[in-house]
Amino acid sequence: MSEICEVIVDGEIHEAKEGSLLIDLLIEEGVKIPYFCYHESLGADGNCRMCMVGIKGEKRPQIACDTLIKKDMEVFSNTDVIKKVRTDILELELLNHPVDCPICDQAGECSLQDFYMDYGLHESKVEIEDKVKNSKHVDLGSSVVLDQERCVLCARCTRFTTEITHTNELGIVGRGDSAKVTTMPGRELSNPYAMNVVDLCPVGALTSKDFRFSQRVWLLETHNSICHGCAKGCNIYIDHNKLKYKDDVIYRFRPRKNLEVNGHFICDEGRLSYKDVQENRQEFSTFNHIEVEQDIAISKFKNFLEQHHKNIHILIDANLYTEEIEAILEFAKSIKAEVFSPLEVYTDEGFADDMLKCSNRASNYKTIENLNISTENPNNSELIINFNHPQNFESLMQIDFCTHKSDTNSLVFAIAAFTENEGSLTNVDGITQQTQKAVKKNNPQPSIIEWLTRIDL
Amino acid sequence: MKECKIVSRKFSIEGSHTLEVAKHHNAYRSLEKRGEFTPTQMIKIIKDANLRGKGGGGASAGEKWELMPQDGDKPSFLAVNCDESEPGTFKDRQIITYDPHLLIEGIILTCYAIKSKHAYIYIRGEYKEYQDILQNAIDEAYEDGLLESCDITIHRGAGAYICGEKSALLESMEGKRGHPRLKPKQKEPEWFFGNPTLVNNVETIATVPFIIQNGSDAYREYGTHCSPGTLLFGMSGHVNKPGVYESEFGVSMLEYIEHFGGGVKNGKKLKAVIPGGVSCGVLTARECKDLTLDYEAMRTAGSSLGTGGMIIMDEDTDMVAVLKNILEFYHEESCGQCTPCREGTGWSDKILQKIVNKRGTKKDLEKLFELADVMNGKTICVFAPSVSSVLISFITKFRDEFERAVS
Repeated sequence: MSEICEVIVDGEIHEAKEGSLLIDLLIEEGVKIPYFCYHESLGADGNCRMCMVGIKGEKRPQIACDTLIKKDMEVFSNTDVIKKVRTDILELELLNHPVDCPICDQAGECSLQDFYMDYGLHESKVEIEDKVKNSKHVDLGSSVVLDQERCVLCARCTRFTTEITHTNELGIVGRGDSAKVTTMPGRELSNPYAMNVVDLCPVGALTSKDFRFSQRVWLLETHNSICHGCAKGCNIYIDHNKLKYKDDVIYRFRPRKNLEVNGHFICDEGRLSYKDVQENRQEFSTFNHIEVEQDIAISKFKNFLEQHHKNIHILIDANLYTEEIEAILEFAKSIKAEVFSPLEVYTDEGFADDMLKCSNRASNYKTIENLNISTENPNNSELIINFNHPQNFESLMQIDFCTHKSDTNSLVFAIAAFTENEGSLTNVDGITQQTQKAVKKNNPQPSIIEWLTRIDL
Repeated sequence: MKECKIVSRKFSIEGSHTLEVAKHHNAYRSLEKRGEFTPTQMIKIIKDANLRGKGGGGASAGEKWELMPQDGDKPSFLAVNCDESEPGTFKDRQIITYDPHLLIEGIILTCYAIKSKHAYIYIRGEYKEYQDILQNAIDEAYEDGLLESCDITIHRGAGAYICGEKSALLESMEGKRGHPRLKPKQKEPEWFFGNPTLVNNVETIATVPFIIQNGSDAYREYGTHCSPGTLLFGMSGHVNKPGVYESEFGVSMLEYIEHFGGGVKNGKKLKAVIPGGVSCGVLTARECKDLTLDYEAMRTAGSSLGTGGMIIMDEDTDMVAVLKNILEFYHEESCGQCTPCREGTGWSDKILQKIVNKRGTKKDLEKLFELADVMNGKTICVFAPSVSSVLISFITKFRDEFERAVS
């Protein structure tokens, strides 16, 4: 069944696995195909009827999401008949839609809008009072808000709670054009992955309370990154925007598909962790909580090193990029310091589940292990140089390199957060992944590597 | 007209729903044949008899039975479809009211043939009183030791028309929303919790005892070559004696209406007939003239035999109002899964409401045709295509009435 065979799509020859889904091939090959209900992670449901294609030998148009690839199959995706079918069905999808795009958060990334531009462009033939009215604001819980009027009943969200999280909170009630998505009476959408339904929703029916009304999506800039919430290394998009006269701000994390790591989803905690990255940041170098110039800070650093040359212990945060860790090791060698990265502090058994969440909350702990860095606690330290490690240990003197404000009475260097820097991480399964530099702050903090270059012993 | 009582044999006997009376009139005699035939032989008899599914589709029952694995490692099930919700159809409830033991007898035989140990009867929620009769009969059968080879459980539906569609019925029985399933790529049985399952209509199962007892040839003596046997045809609407009367296939429709129904009410002229429940295209009086009641003739006439429940309309019937009434039903009952059906039925209903309110325009009629086109052949089940054929048949056949309504 799994032999590679040739399939002709609109006159062009493509290769695909026999018995695989036709829609997967069309999406992969970039053939224009509209669809709402199909999703790679959820499989075919066949309810939206938008992905109709012509198939040689078949009397009627067939839905590509329920068509298995056969040898020498000939597929037509842009004939007049197919275009008309798609236009007709799209008109029905839009029949009871409120067309409130100007106030809809999905506008700009909405399948309905996109397909309307491709296949619709028709005037509405129904009067507004004839449209089916429904609730515009249903708070489902877990920061997800439902607009039942915008819903196209593709059932992706309900299938997600049935098939992926097995929590079954969402369902469709009612028949015909009064069918709507809802929760069971008295129940809330509550599972650690609930907000994925917002990404799954092809239209503006499910929106995130956290993101809604905060930005128009076409203003956002997107960069690829890796979530730092745990060692799983879920692939994410960082959506950020720098408004005029304001600083570059992250508005949301979204899951980025990577079948080897996180599939199509991320957990809600990871999704909302963008807030922690931005809040309470260390924005300049300080000494005893008082801002100091960079040059002064560097000379103080050098002074401390001269004063304490015995028992210099370096602490490394297991969330730093591999490149940073390597640079620190190099630096440690030059000053003959011992390096530690105690991992116990990252362990959080309560966080783990059998989907994506790992009990180890350090996104690059694997590199710490790979580089044979000690995971013991340092003791008898004279001087500790802490590179963003969350724990503090006793010492005569401490120097901190921090992304976030620290309450130690010491010399503190502000460093860039992972979103403002690029590098690689190795996840719990040993997969090494790269991130992109996303955020460009008005007052950018140097990365650890930049600081070490500037200090230049 | 030839007297034929295969399923309705005991209907007129008083107390026939009780085991005592039923047994007195030879109920459960066919069970003795289980010793004579193997399950596969029994399926062959049903296939040779060309018993066609009596729930509306008319597909060969034997071929469906053959799809059930005879030596699979999973348990097999029988689901008897008693979700009788097609407007104009009320035959299954006659069987349950007057001869529930015939159904139980049929179930026992069918379970033997498909090697099933458990049968479910999916009964529509509104049939509470018939369910009680049936349950009493099942209890009697258990007490009498008749149900040693298989169990029978009644599953009560929640009142959705679409649950009469076999895959939606099984979804509903599994405790899910009654949504039809995507059609399999090859011929295979239905699946109930992943186990092979046969779904047949009440009347189909109730015909099995006769065929097993008397042989396939005895059944084929009735009806036509392609549509052998009998059906519980029914009549409602403008007819003097509405009701269910069993007849063989292939008889003249008008003769049937005259003979059993006593002709059109108040001596009026016949205007139209919906032959087998509202999902079948309407036929004008002229089209009914030489029409016979069998699957093939109905198809040739551009409609279908459906369940055989005829709706008779006299010359004064307002066809626009009839269509509106039917569309209201479809609007209410579309399961809402596929877009064309979910939105198409609602929109058609609203347009017809507009026409009934004398606010319709010619464009609305065109739109109805367009909608009929979108709803045809683009959905998971045949609900929307039925709506489509109903819309087209009404508007084309009674075009002048619709045009008057929109002028």
